[in-house]
Amino acid sequence: MHEDDSGVTKKRTLQLPSMSVPLSSHEMGEVELSCLAYAKMYLHASQFPRCSVNGLLLSSSAAGGAVCITDCVPLLHTHLSLAPITQLALTQVDVWCSQTQQRIVGYYQANACASDSSPTPCALKIAEKIFEQCNNAVLLMIDGEKMFPGCRVPPIVMYERKDARWALKDKHTIMLRQWEETCSIVNQLFSSGDQALLVDFDSHLDDITKDWTNQKLNAKIMELVSPANGNV
Amino acid sequence: MSSISELYDVSWEEMRDKLRKWREENYRNSEQIVDVGEELINEHASKLGDDIWIIYEQVMIAALDCSRDDLAWSCLQELKRQFPDSHRVKRLAGMRLEALERYEDANKLYDSILQDDPTNTAARKRKISILRAQGKSSEAIRELNEYLEHGLSDELTTTTLSCSYAKAAFCLEELMMTNPHNHLYCEQYAEVKYTQGGLENLELARKYFAQALKLNNRNMRALFGLYMSASHIAASPKVSAKVKKDNVKYAAWATSQISRAYQMAGRGKKENKCSVKAVEEMLESMQITMS
Repeated sequence: MHEDDSGVTKKRTLQLPSMSVPLSSHEMGEVELSCLAYAKMYLHASQFPRCSVNGLLLSSSAAGGAVCITDCVPLLHTHLSLAPITQLALTQVDVWCSQTQQRIVGYYQANACASDSSPTPCALKIAEKIFEQCNNAVLLMIDGEKMFPGCRVPPIVMYERKDARWALKDKHTIMLRQWEETCSIVNQLFSSGDQALLVDFDSHLDDITKDWTNQKLNAKIMELVSPANGNV
Repeated sequence: MSSISELYDVSWEEMRDKLRKWREENYRNSEQIVDVGEELINEHASKLGDDIWIIYEQVMIAALDCSRDDLAWSCLQELKRQFPDSHRVKRLAGMRLEALERYEDANKLYDSILQDDPTNTAARKRKISILRAQGKSSEAIRELNEYLEHGLSDELTTTTLSCSYAKAAFCLEELMMTNPHNHLYCEQYAEVKYTQGGLENLELARKYFAQALKLNNRNMRALFGLYMSASHIAASPKVSAKVKKDNVKYAAWATSQISRAYQMAGRGKKENKCSVKAVEEMLESMQITMS
């Protein structure tokens, strides 16, 4: 991120809800990932298979306790390590979150080189920025090698902040409710061609009539999520 | 296990048309391509006519994505049989070797293509992506530098950025010299300078964002970039009052252009309300941060 040489780091000014609840008095580091968030991340990575892609993870639930990732905003598929557009996107998403009662709780990235799912310096930098505002922020890397049909395991690797570094999260603290249903929803999106509806911030800048908040796609996905399951 | 045609009640023609749609619109839904394509090839090959060759190619590439080397191999064999001397098929064979991480063998194949046809950019691109996959960034850059004129500039920027901002800036400077009317190079150069940070780089960034806008006044990245760099400069304690005043003006101009662009985009579109409102608030909040 950009730091001018007066040594002052530019912080985003928006006030986020108080994060002062101590982690130790709640379920240690449990993270829930909704179908909506997972589906859009997966679609984003699939839309640009030869590129590195990234995005932000959002939560509409209150701070404290388990982290519930309820949505995501796909950001870039070109030159992830360049500052201006990243800064711009972070600011715009921040504003949108405050308008829609959501918070930025994490960051995801899929590397162009599918066999390497380790966080890049750029990923760590952005995750740090998010951690400054959210003390149980997560960093999610998409594991390209596991993105094949019939794979029984979600293709994700999660990191959390521990002892001043980003450490691998225990798989058992990551909950993906209704995994089979989520997979089937993703497949349905591909067969109906709706996966092409996904807009990331980069695409929005190429054509600003495109909606990076993906209202249309969100509606389609929520239609597919069976009502009996409540919030998946 | 039932077939696709049974499961989804589709005819072979519909399957063939789906494959064509995915091909033309560049979808990379490899699992589906493999499912549909494999059945089409196994059950209906004779009906496909000349379409079958491009289908073999499409299915082969999808099969590599899904680690179905058996399928990739059989498609490749059919293509080799039909087009024994084709560079295009050779390139596909190279892609298969890459998927198996047999990089030396893949390179040999690409080199043989380039011996026959030194202008074959597809083969060059694959060689460069192998070097990148192996983490040999400096060698990749060396290869790229030799073929700047052959239109590989996107690869160049991506590769050099993975190396260092300074190298990326250097490459972009050369590209701007030989392509002075290309607004994308100006804008990318400005982004690199902005990222490198520091007052001098910010001023360069602002100049090049402005230049990009002169070449294409619809480049939104350049518009936002101009706004952000001018605002940062104006906020810096190191600049003179005049410089501050000038940059405040640039930023204000950029703001009005951005607002106007979003207003035009949002006309009559309900779903864009979020974005337009968000932009207005964002510009406001950035102003507070920068001042």
